[in-house]
Amino acid sequence: MKLADVMSAMHFDLLAQVALVIAVAGFVTVMVAVFLARNREPFRRAALMPLADDPTVVRGPGDRA
Amino acid sequence: MASPGMRNERMEQFVYDDAIVRLFLLATLVWGLVGMLVGVVIALQLASSVFNLGLPWTSFGRLRPLHTNAVIFAFAGNAIFTGVYYSTQRLLKARMWSDALSRLHFWGWQAIIVAAALTLPLGINQSKEYAELEWPIDVAIALVWVAFSVNVFGTIAKRRERHLYVAIWFYISTLVAIAILHIFNNLVVVAGPFKSYSIYAGVQDAFMQWWYGHNAVAFFLTTPFLGMMYYFLPKAADRPVFSYRLSILHFWTLVFIYIWAGPHHLHYTALPAWASTLGMLFSVMLWMPSWGGMVNGLLTLRGAWHKVTEDPVLKFFVVAITFYGMSTFEGPLLSIKSVNALSHYTDWTIAHVHAGALGWVGFMVFGMVYWLLPRLFQAELWSKRLAELHFWIATVGILLYVVAIYAAGLTQGLMWRAFDETGRLAYPDFIETTMRLIPMYWVRVLGGVLYIAGMVFCGVNALMTWRSGPARYAEPVHEAPSLAPTAPAPAAAGGFRRAAWHRRWEGLPVTFSVWVGVAVVVASLFEVVPMFLIGSNVPTIQAVHPYTPLELAGRDVYVAEGCNNCHSQMIRPIRAETMRYGEYSKPGEFVYDHPFLWGSRRIGPDLARVGGKYPDLWHVRHMEDPRSTTPQSIMPAYPWLARTPLKWSAVERGVAAQSTLGVPYTPEQVRNAGGLAREQAKQIAGAIARQGGPAGLEETELVALVAYLQRLGTDIKKPSSVAAAAGSGEGAGR
Repeated sequence: MKLADVMSAMHFDLLAQVALVIAVAGFVTVMVAVFLARNREPFRRAALMPLADDPTVVRGPGDRA
Repeated sequence: MASPGMRNERMEQFVYDDAIVRLFLLATLVWGLVGMLVGVVIALQLASSVFNLGLPWTSFGRLRPLHTNAVIFAFAGNAIFTGVYYSTQRLLKARMWSDALSRLHFWGWQAIIVAAALTLPLGINQSKEYAELEWPIDVAIALVWVAFSVNVFGTIAKRRERHLYVAIWFYISTLVAIAILHIFNNLVVVAGPFKSYSIYAGVQDAFMQWWYGHNAVAFFLTTPFLGMMYYFLPKAADRPVFSYRLSILHFWTLVFIYIWAGPHHLHYTALPAWASTLGMLFSVMLWMPSWGGMVNGLLTLRGAWHKVTEDPVLKFFVVAITFYGMSTFEGPLLSIKSVNALSHYTDWTIAHVHAGALGWVGFMVFGMVYWLLPRLFQAELWSKRLAELHFWIATVGILLYVVAIYAAGLTQGLMWRAFDETGRLAYPDFIETTMRLIPMYWVRVLGGVLYIAGMVFCGVNALMTWRSGPARYAEPVHEAPSLAPTAPAPAAAGGFRRAAWHRRWEGLPVTFSVWVGVAVVVASLFEVVPMFLIGSNVPTIQAVHPYTPLELAGRDVYVAEGCNNCHSQMIRPIRAETMRYGEYSKPGEFVYDHPFLWGSRRIGPDLARVGGKYPDLWHVRHMEDPRSTTPQSIMPAYPWLARTPLKWSAVERGVAAQSTLGVPYTPEQVRNAGGLAREQAKQIAGAIARQGGPAGLEETELVALVAYLQRLGTDIKKPSSVAAAAGSGEGAGR
């Protein structure tokens, strides 16, 4: 008996259902994490990162390397 | 944004490596110009076959993959690296981990592009769309990608910022997913220094190719550009992203859903219906995260819309994000089976692709380039007015292009399926439908010329800005507190309810990357495992037998000339198709097709059942000059095929490689492949001469191609006794 025979005999509708449950569970988990009010402040700070990505300049532009 | 309480008090000084960013930016502009120029050339070739120039290396079939590879991997690729190298260093407050790896990445990638530019016009290709490059170049791509990944992960490891901003997540997903896609779609058996055969066959090869093809769009043309959007748009607008929460949802839903969607490229083909339906459902689901990202991008400009009127950078970004929204609405629409039945194989798909490529990718690149030019070259942008002109001329160019090609696609689709009042095809002659498109093809040329003119303006602006910069660039020294290697990740105070687990992931890049990899691999396996292991997916057909050695050599010629760029080999079970082309294609007909050659477009008619439809001499005349058999044809002429000697040693290597892949050639057929091929070539050449054609073709590539074309689709028409004889090794002739 080949592996393909075994796989062919399996009920793959179950696989699709398992995939759906995993997908929904993952989505709900991320949703919960993202929209909890307590996370507002960390996310607000994270959103500012591109605007605050220039740290202290010790020698500014114009200096020759 | 170092997390409070997590700082080591020791301050560190560092300098960003902007020289590598400058190199990638210049390469983006140079290769963009080349790739788009080739695009205009092939657009001209479709409007008039004269522009094929009668040369092998300038014919449409060879240049089309050059165009797609150049704009995707050379233009967009170098742009990705420009954005990643610039933003990663700043978001992580660290110079790239290794300057040597950065240079290896840059020069390695340029060498790969040059190798592609040389090999594709020479007809060296694997046939798979966006994965045409042959195995030595594939190996080089893998090595360079590893160098790039090591450099990025090394930089993440030595970063001075605990939190990984969402742009970095998108970059990580690109690194992980592209590595997986590239490796598994390019698994081959080598048949020579520049020749290989896919290890997958037929249905499974098609599935793997479009798993790759669709996700190359996802993880090469979408996720890195979204990362760049989340970094450069807030910079240009001087406002934070509208919703960081939405960006997290955008990321995880895209990563998990995108990977399933590939089979929507194969609706109504021989792919099993379950895979096709799964691909459609996940494609429709993709609409939500995609529009979440678009809304997030556009709303980042809240309160800053007045800047858009003044700033060409924001103009480019706004139109880019708008095109992202339009393309990601249209993509799910096209994935719905009933819509796809009309759109597939037509120019509608081409219009969709170019709305995304020219509008989303191109304009994101130009917005980023104009934002970077003054900062990288430490001089004011040479001409803001020229940048504005670039924006307007390119916008008009895109609109001309896509409107004309949408019209062409709809025209094709509707004409192909039109019936007259007696129930017969209204346009039974394929060339009738082609002729209707020619005016629209000329409009496309005009649109392309305008877009490329804008690209030239951008190049001039970049060059002049570069020239007005200092002789030596200043290298500002920055300072930030280091992250102690032993410092714990942010405390999980509040546990799950505070989503600390996700922020811990973000602080642990390896764990984060592993989960991205898991999302990609698990989603892939849900489709791949059933596809490969359920026998009923590909019911065998007793009458189907391997190609003869000469037919296999002809198939190689077909691949080298890029015939699959214009001709499909897949008749869908749709009445208009079965009436036009014959019996619909069955999965079992392709079990020996390494690689599959179903194509994705019908610039010319389907060839799945062309075998036996015309005499051998017709094919000879057609290849010498297509206008001699079909006066209005836009197909290039292939006169060189009648002069190019067939490489018999390559025939033998090809049969041996196919045998390695499990194609059931007998040991005698493998040993004597060259002899069998010569014997069949003599028979066909003799028949051609007897029909009044040229003599002495038995040593040429043309005779092999004729043998292959005459075999297509004939197996299931053969009486079982003939089929059995062919399968027992007596099938050297036909």
